[in-house]
Amino acid sequence: MAKRYSLDELLIITVAREIKDGDRVILGVGLPTTAGAMAKALHAPNATLMMESGIIDIEPCVPPNHIADANSCRGFSYATDLFSMFTMTYRGFIDVCFLGVAQIDRFGNINTTVIGDYFKPKMRLPGSGGASDFMSYARHTILTMRGGEFVEKLDYFTSPGYLEGGNSRDDSGLFPKGSGPSMLLTTKGVFRFDDTTKELYLSKLHPGVTVDMVKKDVPWDLKIAADLSVTERPTDAEIDFVRRFAPTEAVGRKLMYELGISNALNKAAARQNN
Amino acid sequence: MPESSNKVMTAKEAVNRFVHDGDHLVIGNYTVGTCAALVFEIIRQQKKGFTLYSQSGVFDVEVLVGGGCVDRLVTTYVYRAGGKEGGSAVERALRDGSLEMEDYTNFQYNARLVAGMHGFSFMQVLEGPMVTDLFSKRSFMADDKYRIIKCPYTGKDILTVPAANPDVCIVHVQRADKFGNAQYWGALGSVAAAALSSKRIIVSCEEIVEHDIIQSSPQLTIIPAYRVDAVVEAPWGAHPTEVLGYYNLDKMAYAMFFMSDMTGDGLKAWMDEWVYGCANRQAYIDHYIGKYGSGLLDAIKAKPYYSAPANYGSAYISSWEDNGRERTMGVTIEEMEKIMEERGLLYG
Repeated sequence: MAKRYSLDELLIITVAREIKDGDRVILGVGLPTTAGAMAKALHAPNATLMMESGIIDIEPCVPPNHIADANSCRGFSYATDLFSMFTMTYRGFIDVCFLGVAQIDRFGNINTTVIGDYFKPKMRLPGSGGASDFMSYARHTILTMRGGEFVEKLDYFTSPGYLEGGNSRDDSGLFPKGSGPSMLLTTKGVFRFDDTTKELYLSKLHPGVTVDMVKKDVPWDLKIAADLSVTERPTDAEIDFVRRFAPTEAVGRKLMYELGISNALNKAAARQNN
Repeated sequence: MPESSNKVMTAKEAVNRFVHDGDHLVIGNYTVGTCAALVFEIIRQQKKGFTLYSQSGVFDVEVLVGGGCVDRLVTTYVYRAGGKEGGSAVERALRDGSLEMEDYTNFQYNARLVAGMHGFSFMQVLEGPMVTDLFSKRSFMADDKYRIIKCPYTGKDILTVPAANPDVCIVHVQRADKFGNAQYWGALGSVAAAALSSKRIIVSCEEIVEHDIIQSSPQLTIIPAYRVDAVVEAPWGAHPTEVLGYYNLDKMAYAMFFMSDMTGDGLKAWMDEWVYGCANRQAYIDHYIGKYGSGLLDAIKAKPYYSAPANYGSAYISSWEDNGRERTMGVTIEEMEKIMEERGLLYG
C-alpha cells in the first residue's frame, strides 16, 4: 500500500515536480529549498540549485535557516555575490524562481509589501526582497500561497505577473519574451495561467477540496479547467525524501513547534536532574 | 545551453565545435596563464576572420595575428618585440592593411566586458581620457567606440563605452572539474569578466580534479559549470607564460619567441616549428624536452605554497541525530509518522 502523506508534503512534492533536469533554479528558504533538494535527488540530477546570496550549485543537506546559509550545504561549486546573481537572472540564465504570495490578482501580479494603505498600513509585509527582480527576469516563477488572498486589485504592486493579461507582459518590452509565473500553488489546489488571456484558472484540486471551497476565496468568477483533476499523489520515495531531509517541513509548522518546544523542555529538565 | 554533464574533450574537438570563422573571440587571460594550448589549436585549424579581444596584446595576439586569424583587434597594449628596432606581428599587419585595430585604456576595455557580463548595454568610465586621442581617433568602432551622455543626477558629461559580448572566450585556469567549474587564483585581472560576458566558453586547465575538490573550495571558482561549453585538460597549457602554483614564466622560451617575432619570416619559422609542427600540447612539450632536455622545465616548476584551508564545516549535516531522533522535535521517524497519523494530518 502506498504511503499516506500530509498536506505540507503534497505541496512540496507538487512544486518539486515543476523543476526539470538541467534547470537553473533560485531557491528561497522553506518549501522551495526542500522541493529543489528533492528534485535534484530524485528526478533532476543536473539541476543547478542556487541562492541569491551568491552560493551556486548547492547540495543542501539540511533545510537552510536563511538564503545565505552555507551551513546547510555540504559544499557548493561557485561563490559569487548578490549583484552578479541578479545580473545573471537579468541575462536570462535562470529558469525557475519561487515566490510566496500575500495578495495575487487574476493575472498573477503580486503584492508582498503592504496590506492596506502604503503610508498607513494595516499590515506591513516583508517587501520585495529579490521577488520583483526575479519574477521580472526568470523564465518561470512558481508562486506559493498559504495564508494569502486573491484580490481584484492589489493594495501594492510589488512583483510583475502578466500585468493586464493577454500579451501585455511581452508587449511592455521590459521582460524576456514568454517569461512570467507558471503556476500558483495554494493549500487547496493548483492554478495555472491561460495561454491566451493569461488569467489564472483552477487546474487541480488537492484531495478533499471542492470547487466551491476554492471559489469562495476568489472575488471574481474563477475559470475552471475542463480537465480538472486531483493533484497527483506523491510516491513513497518522494515522501521519504521530505521526511528525511526536512522532517519539520513534513509535519507542518504547528506540530513542529509543539513537538519542538516539548522536546526542548524535556532536554532542559533532564539536564537539571543530572 | 550547457548542462552540468561531462564536458571534457580535446582542444581539437573543443575548438572545432565552439570556435567559428568570423567570431568575436576573447582571450580570457591577462598576460599571465595565457591560454596557449587553445590559441595554437585555433591557428592549426586555420580559423579566420576574428574580431579579437585581448586585454594586453602580447604573445597570444602576436601568434593569432601572425597565423592570419584576425581581421580586427580590440586591445589596450601591443608588445613590441625586440625594442625599437624589432617589429611585431600587429605592427606588420597594420602596415599592410590586413588588420584594423581599436585602442582602449585597460579600464575601458575591462568595463566593456563587465557591462557585457552583467547584461548592461553600456558602462560609465572615467572621464579623463575624453581629452586624449583615445577618444578622438576611432577605427572600426566609429561612433560606437565611446558615447557621451548627461548624468541624470549631476548634469555632468559622462563618458561611456558599449558592452562587449564576445561569441566565444578561450581561457586557461589552474583546475576545473569535468562539469566545467573553473578555478583560478592569483591576479584576477579581467579573467572572469572575459569569460562570463561571452556566449560560449572553452576552459583549458592544468588539471581536471574531482568535483569534491571544487566543493571544498568554491571561493576559487571564477566560472560556474552551467556557463561552460568545453573543458580541456592541458598540462603546461600556458607555456611559455606562467601558471601560479604550477610553473613560472619560461624566460628562455619567451625570449626566443620574441626574437623570432621581430620579423615576419622569423615568426613564420617559429610557428612552423612550435604551432604547425606540433599536433597538440603534448607534442609541443615533447618537442621542447627533446630539444632542450627536461631540466629547463624542471627548473621552473612551482614549489608548494599552500593556501591555509578554509573551514567550510557546520555543526551537523542531517536533520537526524546519530541515535535516529530528529534534532528539533526529538522523535524518531516512526514516532513522527505515528503522531501525524493520530492528528489526522495524512491523506491517501
